[in-house]
Amino acid sequence: MMETMIVIENLNKHFKSGDAIFKVLKNINLQINAGECIVLKGVSGSGKTTLLSIMGGLDRPSSGKVLVEGESISKLPDLHISHFRARKIGMIFQHFNLFDHLTAAENVMIPLIPAGLDMNEVNHKVEASLKLANISHKAKSPAGRLSGGEKQRVAIARALASDPAIILCDEPTANLDRNNSLKFIDILSQLHEMGKTIVVATHDPLFDTLPFESRIIPMEDGSLVSTVSEDVLEQG
Amino acid sequence: MNEILLSNQVIVYLLSESILFGLLFIAFMITLGILVKWDFGSYSEQQFLLERRAYLTMTILLFVFVVKFLLLVYFVFAIDSLSILVPGAMCAAGVISANDYGLLLLFFKLLILFFLLLWMALNSYDLHAKNYPLFRLKSWLFIVIFFIISMELGLDFAYFINIDTLEPVNCCSTLYGQLEGANPLPFGLNTTILLILFYLLYVVVVGAMLSKQRILSIVATLLFVMIAYYSVVYFFGTYIYELPTHNCPFCMLQIEYYYVGYLVWGTLFGGVYLGIVSSIMEMGLKEERKKEQKAALILLSIFVLLCTAYVAVYYFRNGVFL
Repeated sequence: MMETMIVIENLNKHFKSGDAIFKVLKNINLQINAGECIVLKGVSGSGKTTLLSIMGGLDRPSSGKVLVEGESISKLPDLHISHFRARKIGMIFQHFNLFDHLTAAENVMIPLIPAGLDMNEVNHKVEASLKLANISHKAKSPAGRLSGGEKQRVAIARALASDPAIILCDEPTANLDRNNSLKFIDILSQLHEMGKTIVVATHDPLFDTLPFESRIIPMEDGSLVSTVSEDVLEQG
Repeated sequence: MNEILLSNQVIVYLLSESILFGLLFIAFMITLGILVKWDFGSYSEQQFLLERRAYLTMTILLFVFVVKFLLLVYFVFAIDSLSILVPGAMCAAGVISANDYGLLLLFFKLLILFFLLLWMALNSYDLHAKNYPLFRLKSWLFIVIFFIISMELGLDFAYFINIDTLEPVNCCSTLYGQLEGANPLPFGLNTTILLILFYLLYVVVVGAMLSKQRILSIVATLLFVMIAYYSVVYFFGTYIYELPTHNCPFCMLQIEYYYVGYLVWGTLFGGVYLGIVSSIMEMGLKEERKKEQKAALILLSIFVLLCTAYVAVYYFRNGVFL
């Protein structure tokens, strides 16, 4: 039986602007198993990124619960949510979010600094992550001088540096050409083989037919259209 | 209008206290609302809203409380500077005893200082835990603090409004000077016994803190602050002033003595309060509070060393004691 990694229960998120209330997520219920790859598909504004941010502890819900490995993270205080992110989550963003003036290796090093590891261990982890993301040859190049595809691979290496169990990808191929997008999917495939739990928020059709087992969950207007877990529940 | 109320220091002080009170009043109203509906186990929209509000309120309180510490120092500076307006006053001692409210106000400020430190220690513990375990306790403590601060604000205004600039007051020599044959020390103590108690209690406080004898630590610390007060006023102070007849807890706050009084009283009260707070927290939470305890020991040690240094330096310079 597969171990449950993430459980989302009755999750809602809304934003207020003046008197208007925008309901971004509406009563989301979802269960993600360890080692599973989930693709959240939907148009812009369907709530994918917000859901991903809440799963990663970057945002808090308006109501509802998010459990990761059985621990509720939706109400963790700032200090603990930072520790949780550092230990459990690797995030890959659409715009890469790299420090352009730092080298690729230095960018990958950043999430390891708070862990208080010695420099040899840090260097070892940085090298291993860069190698896994197939970008070792650009380790000493400033991030600002890399191409889009190379930047994305550095971002992947950074997400992997602390060996997180969960990788969250927000529109990871939106700024990549087809060739680089396919390379990204190759790396994702390797991560899947390694047993990482992967959640991708995207509207890229390339993710419709991934070369490895995955579950596509369409999102529409802040709701999940249908999920396997819901189907299973209905059958049960 | 009263000349005192028109002085820059008093205007700045009362205005700052009033603004802080306004912030505290808002925090008080929000806290009451939160306390009624608080249920950490719930994942409802209301509870999430309360948690966000609680975090905001605690941040405001932390800011207000830090400013209150600074305002206490400013209050002492302000009353010291008023001594030129109050006939007969040579330092803050005369000004503080210019009416019945002064000493009571000072007592309230020292009491509030203790509660603020206690609240800050509880808040720090609470924010480091995962589920705000002390939220209700620290909120009730804040409510108590709010009422004490309300009374303090009333006393602030009553005190400054009622300082009469035409009525002469006693100077520190009269207030703290030894009347003929009278012993100003409590329980008939003499200076030698006072000093033995001073150093002995310091050793007991340090020993009790290090050996986790919490009740002994609180009792010894309370005794130490009393003995330390008399020791400074009636012994160590004379070395600060280099005058065997000058006994005053306030003159050392003046520029002539390089404002050393702020360091003397700051380290004493800071160390004592942190020591008591750490012991109370350890008893209540059954958990070591090393940071607060270390800070308390450092502050008390600085205080003892500073007092001793004045005597030692005087002796090495002059070859005699006062």
